[in-house]
Amino acid sequence: MSDEFATGNHDTPDPYAPELGGFDGLDRAAGTDEDTVVSTGTTTVGITADDGVVVGTDRRASLGGRFVSNKNVVKVEQIHPTAVLTLVGSVGGAQSFIRTLRSEANLYETRRGETMSIDALATLAGNFARGGPFRAIHPILGGVDDQGEHVFSIDPAGGVLEDDYTVTGSGMQLATGTIEGNYDPEMSIEEAGTLAAKAVDAASERDTASGNGFVLATVTSDGVDIEEFDAVAEAL
Amino acid sequence: MQGNQQQAYDRGITIFSPDGRLYQVEYAREAVRRGSASVGVRTAGGVVLAANRQTRSPLIEQSSIEKIHAIDDHVGIASAGHVADARQLVDVARRRAQVEQLRYGEPMDVEALTKEITDHIQQYTQTGGARPFGVALLVGGVMDGEPRLFETDPSGTPYEWQAVAIGGGRDDIQAHFEDEYSPDADLADGVQLALSGLAEAEDSIDPTDVEVATVDAESETFETLSQDEVTEHADAAGLGGESDE
Repeated sequence: MSDEFATGNHDTPDPYAPELGGFDGLDRAAGTDEDTVVSTGTTTVGITADDGVVVGTDRRASLGGRFVSNKNVVKVEQIHPTAVLTLVGSVGGAQSFIRTLRSEANLYETRRGETMSIDALATLAGNFARGGPFRAIHPILGGVDDQGEHVFSIDPAGGVLEDDYTVTGSGMQLATGTIEGNYDPEMSIEEAGTLAAKAVDAASERDTASGNGFVLATVTSDGVDIEEFDAVAEAL
Repeated sequence: MQGNQQQAYDRGITIFSPDGRLYQVEYAREAVRRGSASVGVRTAGGVVLAANRQTRSPLIEQSSIEKIHAIDDHVGIASAGHVADARQLVDVARRRAQVEQLRYGEPMDVEALTKEITDHIQQYTQTGGARPFGVALLVGGVMDGEPRLFETDPSGTPYEWQAVAIGGGRDDIQAHFEDEYSPDADLADGVQLALSGLAEAEDSIDPTDVEVATVDAESETFETLSQDEVTEHADAAGLGGESDE
């Protein structure tokens, strides 16, 4: 009889670790050298609108904030039929985080015949950020479920905060200033998309780690649509 | 000859007989049949679990005979068969329900919880050195206002029911439910149907021997009925105690 069988681990999974590809054996110190690890720097914004959620990001990856190592990054990915997550911080950690959450959401859906609620996805993301080896990540989770439209920021220590709109990444102060005062909870999804573009545009002008275009994810109860723009102006 | 052959196949739980049966699992079902009955009734107003706990002696403390267990605020489990085996599964269910809260920050869906329990039961039908659980369970609860009622059996198969009996006298009670069940019934009607079902197996019941719990669809909360409440429902269902006659 294996240990797992004897102790009933099957029935009590670790709430702070993924079921598949767990954290054991991953080096928590991996990529601590800021000069050699590719980071997204980044400006990512999530805004709830009347009939959905928009999540906008810039497209720049940089090394230590001094060299642009990639100009075509798509920093927002679908992880659930009606939810997206942004890549913010260390690219390796953020990509691994996205893959992990996507597989958990898929397992949940196939086993139970229903999708995970966005609140549950946010709690799980917070648990993994807290319990895992992902280090410097600060993504936004945006999604829609039968409870409505949701935007969460997931901080590196596992903090999970919901708001009408939220901004993370090195350009967050510039982008937040643009949204602040211009947000209206009644705004349409198109108006919210334009506001997200303006916010990323402002950050791209002045934050050295943000720029090189714009990606807009639109989430409604019908699903996720991700559009790429070579220049932010095209989305304004 | 037949006896010897059968003995060879029932020694190990992991061994199929030539006609594809797992004798140990069937023996476990027999253990369930020897237990006193538990019943479950699902109504639009919530789920009812009821169990007969006749005592061997008037000196035993009746509350120490546990047949209905709270699992989480919104779910309860009734058992028939080996009580000690039931306790192990009840603890699996309680832990799993709390892990769901830790992991997703939400209460656990009744169907998902049932399947976690049946997956655990199934492990004990396929692992060398193990013995199957000699118990059947009724898992009743409410999620998002929807009452659900499931049965688990010793093979690890889950079934969903509107009204069901497990344990001794199951066939008689089930026939009674099939005649009397109405999907429009409210929670009080459900309690009375559950009590009349238990009475079916024993000819008559003493309400003080019966344990009843409900999960109301509106409050989504597991509650054990007091002895007075059970007696009132039994009277309403025309099931006076034996002592009255």
